[in-house]
Amino acid sequence: MAAEVLRARPLLATVFRKTAWEQRRAIFWWGVGLFAAGAMYAPFYPSIRENAATFEQYIQEMPEFLREAFLGRTGDFTSPAGYLNTELFSLFAPLLMLLFAIGAGARAIAGEEERRTLDILLSTPIPRSRVVVDKFLAMLAGGAFLALMLWLSVPLTGPPFELRVDLGNLAAAVLMCFLLAMAFGAIALAVSAGSGRRGLAIGVAAGAAAGSWLVDLLVPAVEAISWLQYLSPMHYYLDPEPMMNGLGIVGSLVLAGIALGSFVAAIVLFERRDLAS
Amino acid sequence: MAEVILTDRLTKSYGARRGVIELSFSVSPGEVFGYLGPNGAGKTTTIRTLLDLIRPTSGRAFVFGLDPRRDAVRIHARVGYLPGEFSLYDHMTGAEYLTYLASLRGGVPAERIRELAERLDVDLGARIRTLSHGNRQKIGLIQAFMHRPELLILDEPTQGLDPLIQHEFTRLIEETRADGRTVFLSSHVMPEVERVCDRVGIIREGRLVAVEEIGDLRAKELRTLEIRFGQPIRPDAFEGVPGVREARVNGETARVTVTGPMDALVKRLAAFEVVDLVSHEPSLEEIFLTFYGRGEEHGG
Repeated sequence: MAAEVLRARPLLATVFRKTAWEQRRAIFWWGVGLFAAGAMYAPFYPSIRENAATFEQYIQEMPEFLREAFLGRTGDFTSPAGYLNTELFSLFAPLLMLLFAIGAGARAIAGEEERRTLDILLSTPIPRSRVVVDKFLAMLAGGAFLALMLWLSVPLTGPPFELRVDLGNLAAAVLMCFLLAMAFGAIALAVSAGSGRRGLAIGVAAGAAAGSWLVDLLVPAVEAISWLQYLSPMHYYLDPEPMMNGLGIVGSLVLAGIALGSFVAAIVLFERRDLAS
Repeated sequence: MAEVILTDRLTKSYGARRGVIELSFSVSPGEVFGYLGPNGAGKTTTIRTLLDLIRPTSGRAFVFGLDPRRDAVRIHARVGYLPGEFSLYDHMTGAEYLTYLASLRGGVPAERIRELAERLDVDLGARIRTLSHGNRQKIGLIQAFMHRPELLILDEPTQGLDPLIQHEFTRLIEETRADGRTVFLSSHVMPEVERVCDRVGIIREGRLVAVEEIGDLRAKELRTLEIRFGQPIRPDAFEGVPGVREARVNGETARVTVTGPMDALVKRLAAFEVVDLVSHEPSLEEIFLTFYGRGEEHGG
């Protein structure tokens, strides 16, 4: 008689699949949120378009640094691409994506450690690094799903309101938004893995994101220190304006580099330390 | 290296907090080794070092001759571990939790998990958040035993278990020993260690103060008798009785501390009218104070 060997349902067979499976409900609602974020600006677009001339005049009268800070580099606010660039991709979409990614990254190791589930998990024959890899992949998968929802929302809800954009450029903008979120999510993961403290991980990553955004917003206005903006990850997200210009190669590489570097740091830091009992 | 566990001046410092200091001991294949000490003595610290969950400050530890720091994965594949304090994933059922861990271990016979669940009397279909502390402890035990590891490392395994289940646990340990597998069991409860272990290491304030065969420890066993007599007796009534370490006589009552066999004392008592006799099992602390009270002055 062949003995039945108990293996988990495929959905629970690895740390990655378990983590991904566990976040399914949360991810669903985040997905709804991202879709809604992409959809909610569409109904307002016709009125923006009708009053384009008024807006243009208003915009021209703004001080330059305010215009740059709030309307993007090109100052294009009334074309479909410019409208989404300004309204959706300058704040709300990256904010939601960042909240998700920082939460997932911070929870990854420190969440299990603080809840005291980590000792048994790490007493199985899987290396510590594998746990970090799987948690990172689960964050990537969740973020990718949210990015897809964001991307879908525009062509599915925009056309009735004459909001039609190049889907390739939209994909580029969504991809860069995803990379930005993964960069700060990976920073949260590194602090989570290195300290075992979820609150600290959230604080550091969210603080870095907010600080980075402020630097990019304010620094360019001051000539003498405007070079500081190049230290801000947010600069590499906002500056390329992919809705108009397509994928920003340098910006994407920098953001991906931050994500990968932080991910490697997470593994190294986690391998080196004592786990809290 | 034939020893299953070997430590050589293993030390873990936590700054001001006490860790463990220069532990040297070994556990042989097939042995059930009790690791006995009061809470906070350093038992958990020792165990977590063996599993590479924490790293020693100095000294070395080997499990199956392997260095936990370098070969944690290979060690973990051969070890079953029950932490002293742990949580399970609340939203999972017991079955889901165990199959998840079984998968991470490359698969475990389903029959084995069912058998353990039956013997320990726990419902694996229930969500873990609905389970009592004792039932969670049982699931912790199942995950440690299910893959028939060569070495079981159990940190305070019977806390929260009712006596019937404790008995079943004792049988599990005996079966493990019969298989020739090894058990390292920490406890702060003397009777538990006495019941199942071959040898005991006693740890106190971070230092190993003694390693004894359980039989030798029993011979030293300490008991306090409270005796009430029918009439006042002489204060020196118990002088010279073998095994009596201390006797305080107060008119019609006496408090006598004895080690080892009680035969000689009982025969002496026969000379008096005994109204009442109560025997106290000493607390672990009393044993420590009696035999190992000067622990800090040794070693180091």
